[in-house]
Amino acid sequence: MSRRGFDPASLVAGFAVSGLGVVLLLDQVDALELSFGYLAPALLAVVGSILVAVGLTGPR
Amino acid sequence: MSAARPHPSQPPPLRRDREGAVLGGVCAGLGQRLGIDPIVLRVVFIAATAAGGLGVVFYALLWAALPAEGESRAAGLRVPRVPGGRDSWSVAAGMGLLVLALLLLFRQWGLWVGDALVWPVVLAAAGGGLIWRQSATAADPAPPADEPARADRGSALGRAALGVALVVGAALIFLYFNDALRPARDVLLPVVVVLVAGTLILAPWWIRLVRGLADERAERVRSQERAELAAHLHDSVLQTLALMQRRADDPREVAGLARRQERELRAWLNGGRPFGERGTLAAALEVAAAEVEESHGVAVDVVTVGDCPLDADGEALVAAAREAAVNAAKFGGPEPVSVYAEIGDDRVEVFVRDRGPGFDPAAVPPDRRGVRESIVGRMRRHGGEAVLHTGAGAGTEVELRLERGR
Repeated sequence: MSRRGFDPASLVAGFAVSGLGVVLLLDQVDALELSFGYLAPALLAVVGSILVAVGLTGPR
Repeated sequence: MSAARPHPSQPPPLRRDREGAVLGGVCAGLGQRLGIDPIVLRVVFIAATAAGGLGVVFYALLWAALPAEGESRAAGLRVPRVPGGRDSWSVAAGMGLLVLALLLLFRQWGLWVGDALVWPVVLAAAGGGLIWRQSATAADPAPPADEPARADRGSALGRAALGVALVVGAALIFLYFNDALRPARDVLLPVVVVLVAGTLILAPWWIRLVRGLADERAERVRSQERAELAAHLHDSVLQTLALMQRRADDPREVAGLARRQERELRAWLNGGRPFGERGTLAAALEVAAAEVEESHGVAVDVVTVGDCPLDADGEALVAAAREAAVNAAKFGGPEPVSVYAEIGDDRVEVFVRDRGPGFDPAAVPPDRRGVRESIVGRMRRHGGEAVLHTGAGAGTEVELRLERGR
């Protein structure tokens, strides 16, 4: 079984999605009130950061 | 020290890149460091500026914090090529989404100057970025070898069209929000906006055209200089070399030819004055020295400091110096004759020196008029002075002095 190398893009994507999940969870338990005005930028930021990370750390 | 230069595999240090700068080189430096197209970063900064002025603040901070690197802005708006292999479109799209998220967040917080301004500016910046990118790619004279030969013309046209559409759309949105599309109400605003949009679209091509013309002109000048140099070498050096080959059996003749050619070359290198013109005192001295050298077969080295136009007194000085050089060549032995002239604003001094056996001036017979009349008498008649420094075995130096501006 070969061991895969460190992938920064995967790390960024994991953090971003995890953060989004935490925010949604907090919204679900009413710890914070998440309106569309904040949810939309958060979703865009997650997707954007993943794209940037993939683009910057992709194969040369 | 090699520490200052990073390894090729390492990213360059974070600095402002003035070579590819549009304003201060911040985006170009960041793009080089991160491997991102600087135009993407420029669009991001413009969008952030339109949102709440944050872009200007960040840009100013980075401009102040980052040291500059590279040459001045001679290269103009050249866009450095993004390191190969990176998915620049992913980066651009990701940055676009991040900027959009930031804009929406600012809008939510109330840091907003209005939809009528921000969205048109963002769209225009994105479209302008696409057009600039396309123009820069088309202007790149040396695409990498691994790129397709046609450089994906369809895709390039699509990008350019998208950029134009974005800019035009931004202009129309701006006009719509400002209620300026009704022609009866306000004609001036649409015209101005359309003109601005047209300038934004056409500016890259215009700049590229101007730069191309400048490059072409520079290349033409270089080509003419090369042709002139080649013609001069052919007319002078090559002809002399051919002549020297034919006279190879006469070392004295060959040496004379070589020295004459050396004089011509030096005169040409030191300002383009053709050898043989007697318009100035220094040139006349060189011509006289060459004549003595050719007629007597002894090298005459001429060094002049300063110069002045040749007048009647100068002619006399040159004639006296020539006579002294002739004497040195005739009686001074095979060693080169040295002629040193210092031409100042008030006075001219010429020293003609040989390393011969020397002589006693008092022992010169009265019927020999070379030194007495041609040198001393001539200088005296023109308000100058000639002094002989000589002695047995010490060589001879003739010092000629002439006051100028009498």
